[in-house]
Amino acid sequence: MNRSDALVELDDIHKSFGDVPVLKGISLFVQKGEAVCIIGPSGSGKSTILRCINGLIPVDRGFVRVGTNRVHELKSEKAMRALRHQVAMVFQQYNLFPHRTALENVMMAPIQVLGHDRSEVEERARKLLKKVRLSEKADSYPGELSGGQQQRVAIARALAMQPEVILFDEVTAALDPETVKEVLRTIRDLVEDGLTCILVTHEMKFAREVSQRVCFTDRGLIVESGPPARLFDHPEDPRTREFLGQIL
Amino acid sequence: MGLTLSYDDKKRAVLLLIAVGVVAWIAIDAAAGGSKYWARVLLRLPLLFTGSGSGWPIAGGFVLNILLSIAVMTLATALGTLIGIATLARLALLRVPSLLLMNFLRNSPWLVLLFAMLYILPFEVHVFGRVVAFPPFVKAVIGLALPTAANFSEVIRGAVQSIHSGQWEAARSLGYTTIQIYRHVIMPQAFRRMIPGWMNLYALVMIATALATVTGIQDVLTILNNLLAMESERVIVYFYLTVLFLFFAYCYPIAVLARRLERAVKGDNL
Repeated sequence: MNRSDALVELDDIHKSFGDVPVLKGISLFVQKGEAVCIIGPSGSGKSTILRCINGLIPVDRGFVRVGTNRVHELKSEKAMRALRHQVAMVFQQYNLFPHRTALENVMMAPIQVLGHDRSEVEERARKLLKKVRLSEKADSYPGELSGGQQQRVAIARALAMQPEVILFDEVTAALDPETVKEVLRTIRDLVEDGLTCILVTHEMKFAREVSQRVCFTDRGLIVESGPPARLFDHPEDPRTREFLGQIL
Repeated sequence: MGLTLSYDDKKRAVLLLIAVGVVAWIAIDAAAGGSKYWARVLLRLPLLFTGSGSGWPIAGGFVLNILLSIAVMTLATALGTLIGIATLARLALLRVPSLLLMNFLRNSPWLVLLFAMLYILPFEVHVFGRVVAFPPFVKAVIGLALPTAANFSEVIRGAVQSIHSGQWEAARSLGYTTIQIYRHVIMPQAFRRMIPGWMNLYALVMIATALATVTGIQDVLTILNNLLAMESERVIVYFYLTVLFLFFAYCYPIAVLARRLERAVKGDNL
């Protein structure tokens, strides 16, 4: 793979929290339009990788690039602005703003951060709510929505920033089984639209169906990566085999 | 036992029992000769309320306590907001002194602060040739506002820090700067959580206004003391009970309302 063509490029990134090393040399390249799943046991640093990509967590060492933004060199929040426009994130706990309606949640950042025109943003937001099949919930507050509905609003909110890459951090882990399906369906639509997606997930079946590549992380390293069919059916590394043996 | 009462029902029953007991005791006492003392109290009630025997004009009394509490709370809210913001600042130069100030004021006895202000603040100051007077009322306002402001700043800090960290993360991932996050995401949510604390603090301030009698203003306690010099010893108890009840009648509803709001706010954690 040609790394300079990649939209997202991580090269040998290291990160410790206090004395605890969490990432011990992660390298990952993601092409435009690619969907990459990151799987692995809890505490293997999956979520930290995502947060290093959009600069929520500064790396200790290594190289992070998204498009033309060299993330590891960005220091201030102002400098991050172009990056945050380019990379959106969806969280496990949705993190919608509870004091705003679904529609306002989607509209806030494009207006307040990007300075886009209000009426244009509203049109975009309504389209996005339609896309996540929640048009009729536009005026509901997050507290009035189910977990799955909140998560789909959060996806619409992320999309409203018109990002090139979208990061999903275990977005179905906090949901009831019956609402997981509708969220996964929304994500699948995005992948099919050709949006670049990086997903941390515990949904192995979904990872196999939706992604072009799966990375298995363990103890701060990417142990093995490859197309889902190969990684799931013929894992090479014994740690991958053990992990898959436990959960499949 | 067929009868099962919920906790709230039991609480209500106990409160009702106490209220009935108090009323019954007053009635029995009045019948046994207390009514002539109550008549004295009733006669003086306008004076206790407004500071003038006929009830008008307002020269002090319980109304002055209310005015004082409102003035204190206004000043303390403004001052406490500034201190609260400073204690949240990332800049240590701002944060550390404000934390020191807050902790100092929060841990000082209100009465001592009031006395201190009485002696520290000048009688008047000259600013650009104009004379600004510091009458006892103003000294009382400042003296009570200082500890109140410190307590309010802690209410603000607590409310802001109680907002889930996911809100910060989500807002940052959307490109908001720190100031924008406070303005659009944190403060609107924290504000709702501050209101019960602010109301509780106001009830406390109202109670504390009785301390201001040491500054010599004509508040309800000062008037009561002057009044009692002319009354018989037996009637003193009735007067004190009346004044205590005035404060209770004013503050208790505020506390109840605050508690109700607190419960309403608790639900919206996520």
